[in-house]
Amino acid sequence: MDNPDTDNRGDFFEQFLDDYYAECDEHLVSIRRALVILEDEVDTRTVDRTLLDNLFRSFHTLKGISGMVGLSAAEQLAHDLESYLRELREGKVVFSATGFRALVDGVSLLEGVINARRNEQPSPSIEEIAARLQAAAAESATSDAERSINSDSTNMPALLRWQAEFTPTAELAERGVNVNNVRARLQELGQLGQAKPIVKGAGEIAFQFIVTTDADESALAALAVDGLTFKPAPLDSSQRAKDMQPVPTIAPASVVRVDLDRLDDLMRIIGELVISRTRLEDQVKDLKRVTAPAVWRSLQETSLGMERQLRDLRESVMRVRMVQIGEIFERMTFVVRDLARESDKKIIVQFSGGETEIDKFLVERMMDPFMHLVRNAVSHGLETVAEREAQGKRSEGLLSLSALTAGERIVIKIADDGRGIDRNRVLSRAKASGLANGHVDLDDSTLLDLICSPGFSTRDEADRESGRGVGLDVVKKAIEELGGRITLATRVAGGTTFTIELPLTLAIAEALIVTVNGQRFAVPQSAVREVLEVESAATKVLENNEIIPYRGKVLPLLRLARVFEMNDQREARFHVLVLGEDTNAVGLAVDRILGQREIVVRAIKDPLAQSKGIAGATELGDQRVVLILDTTALRQFATTTRH
Amino acid sequence: MPDELKTNNILVVDDSPTMRRMVITSLGSLRRVKSTQAGSGLEAIERLAIEPVDLMVLDLNMPDMHGMEVIDFVRSHQAYRNIPIVVLTTKGEEASRTQALAAGATRYLTKPFDPRQLADVVGSLLERADG
Amino acid sequence: MTLMEPFILFELAGTTYGVRSSFVQQIEMLDDVASVPNAHPAVEGVVLVRGQVIPALNLRTRFGFEKIERDLRSRLVVINSGARTVGLVVDTAREFLKISPDSIEPPPEALTGLSGHYLEGIATMAERMILILNLDAVLDLEYENGREDYGSDVRDLGQQP
Repeated sequence: MDNPDTDNRGDFFEQFLDDYYAECDEHLVSIRRALVILEDEVDTRTVDRTLLDNLFRSFHTLKGISGMVGLSAAEQLAHDLESYLRELREGKVVFSATGFRALVDGVSLLEGVINARRNEQPSPSIEEIAARLQAAAAESATSDAERSINSDSTNMPALLRWQAEFTPTAELAERGVNVNNVRARLQELGQLGQAKPIVKGAGEIAFQFIVTTDADESALAALAVDGLTFKPAPLDSSQRAKDMQPVPTIAPASVVRVDLDRLDDLMRIIGELVISRTRLEDQVKDLKRVTAPAVWRSLQETSLGMERQLRDLRESVMRVRMVQIGEIFERMTFVVRDLARESDKKIIVQFSGGETEIDKFLVERMMDPFMHLVRNAVSHGLETVAEREAQGKRSEGLLSLSALTAGERIVIKIADDGRGIDRNRVLSRAKASGLANGHVDLDDSTLLDLICSPGFSTRDEADRESGRGVGLDVVKKAIEELGGRITLATRVAGGTTFTIELPLTLAIAEALIVTVNGQRFAVPQSAVREVLEVESAATKVLENNEIIPYRGKVLPLLRLARVFEMNDQREARFHVLVLGEDTNAVGLAVDRILGQREIVVRAIKDPLAQSKGIAGATELGDQRVVLILDTTALRQFATTTRH
Repeated sequence: MPDELKTNNILVVDDSPTMRRMVITSLGSLRRVKSTQAGSGLEAIERLAIEPVDLMVLDLNMPDMHGMEVIDFVRSHQAYRNIPIVVLTTKGEEASRTQALAAGATRYLTKPFDPRQLADVVGSLLERADG
Repeated sequence: MTLMEPFILFELAGTTYGVRSSFVQQIEMLDDVASVPNAHPAVEGVVLVRGQVIPALNLRTRFGFEKIERDLRSRLVVINSGARTVGLVVDTAREFLKISPDSIEPPPEALTGLSGHYLEGIATMAERMILILNLDAVLDLEYENGREDYGSDVRDLGQQP
């Protein structure tokens, strides 16, 4: 029955569209993360097998669920992506730059196809990319000798192997102890092999894990509660390589699945409530004269109470956007492991403060910079085992990742105990490239400026671990764009620490969304003192300046349409946003106010798109860009043109 | 007869939560049925340890433990041997149909699936087991 | 033997242009472009691509061709060259072609002026002529020394220090 009656199917599965989009988003996020890592494996023979497996599975799932909701373009594209990965996974094709590009473009198109459906727009054509993927999958294979995907873990340190056994029960499950979190706990100890279910004598089911760790028995004993037992693992060399297969960890962490769009909706509704409450507050004030004092006070208390409650509500919703930074740290161990495997280095990664929360948006933006710093630490900072032993250091290099919140900021440190940065070498290189001359006192901050100069590299040939594609200059820029800063502390033979400080809430701002001549703009709420509705007839012209009466004085008007050289259609009624205080106040005239929104501020990086009076851009959930006004620049504009 | 009132527990195993909801909703038309979910092969086996399961709807391509391994495990242990297993996997891996049926899958359906067909198949398997 | 290099081809006013595919981040359908006030006339506005706000540069305007309405075939070719990411609005784009460097000739002397400056070379492949773009020149709007008023802003912002 391959062709069942499908009449009602479409309608039936319509109800799952929201889940579908949310799940697509999760997969697309983890796919993109995987692609970042894969990019460095282009043309190498060591494509990470686990990563490929996970990518493959993501595409497979996307294909399955897209088919269910009848989105056949996405189904087809996911199928082509999956097929290409299958060829890669089986070592039938070499992972070429062309293939990688097809993969990247395929993913972006897949996203486009899904978004087109979400926004009820026509689907982009998939033929070109599909053809490229098919071509990549058909690229001729290399010789057998070269076809070793996934390098064996040959230089894995000899650690102790334990066999852990977990017996699940209904009581344990009730307490939240289950095979998944037991596995996660074991994973913290060291390398974890595949779990194997067994049935014991009395017919009970148990799971066996092989864990390879340097943890001592007391650490194991601490875990040996909750139905978990340990004993030394039987030595079985044929099993060994298989056990070493790392357990996949890039599956999206889905404690609660929240669609960011729905959160935005919630924030919008809260925004509207805030406006209504402000209106209520005004009305309460008006009542003061005609109401008995006791009644009036109680009214006002209620109104103020509501204000507090709304603030709490808003904060709670904001908190849902937060993810634990430990997720990034975990990703980094992946990167470290792969890099270490290819070099003669042993590295221990330490985390602290993994539970520190950071906005989802920041996580995405910070992923590349983190990855770059971690790679730098591993490939340039930490020494090989031989070098370390020669210096009397412990043979394992230490990389520590930590996070904590300090006031309104989150502080993240990436520290290694490696060789430190060689000031003299940096200086001579800087002089050679004309970045510095004469005597320079190279303190840590000058040093950071130098190594963050575009194109600066202390290695004559950037090796692949050094994070191709992003230089330290890009890392610094990315952090600064998010309103953060990066500092450096380094000591020769002692190690290097990069400290990144980011504002906790920077990327998000309250804004009023206004329209001028049909185009939407966002105005930061913090800059707006008051909103007025004005009749055209109420404006006066005074020496070439339009003014309106305002609180017993006059307020100069700045027509946004005019500043932006747009068609200035004068409406009979329009809105004015009062910017600034007292004598500096300016009224920004716009056509209409659409409402208040929480916006994610994005920087406009390219000079072609930068313009005076525009501070950045945002998007309100429909993938359309809305420009954010730079109220300071606009006020300056008003003062310089007023005379 | 007590059997007349028995509620059947269906274990829905799929790594996609959306797919699990689709399956569970499709089975909503059946009477005297409740569903339990598992997101991986390992979780599926854990569910078996924790509560009685009357039928499994099983995806094949999953993390941690492949659906085929789940079938192998279930079929090789006395206590679970008779649980009907409906494999529900994404189209395009036709080779696995033979393998899955050979390993002991009771029925083999592909995604995209028809909700009514799935409910019919599951319903008739449960009736057969009850009767 | 020289290596064939992959190019993305697109059409503009009846002519085929090519850019190295290594510079092409992606090709997008073009829907909503938010116009940027007081920007260069060739800058149609900004669009959101992979979470990044990038300018959409209309190549027709840029090259002095007549501007046409966008239609379903219009594409945004997203160029990623060094630190910059810019979208080029073209009539249509869908081809991918490998070109041998041997078949790329420098632009003829006769093609001077603006259009010559934008070209890195001309490839002739089986009766087809493909104009290979010099992206740095295309993206450098100051080259024309046109509008001074925003020129200084552009210089101050963004360019590498």
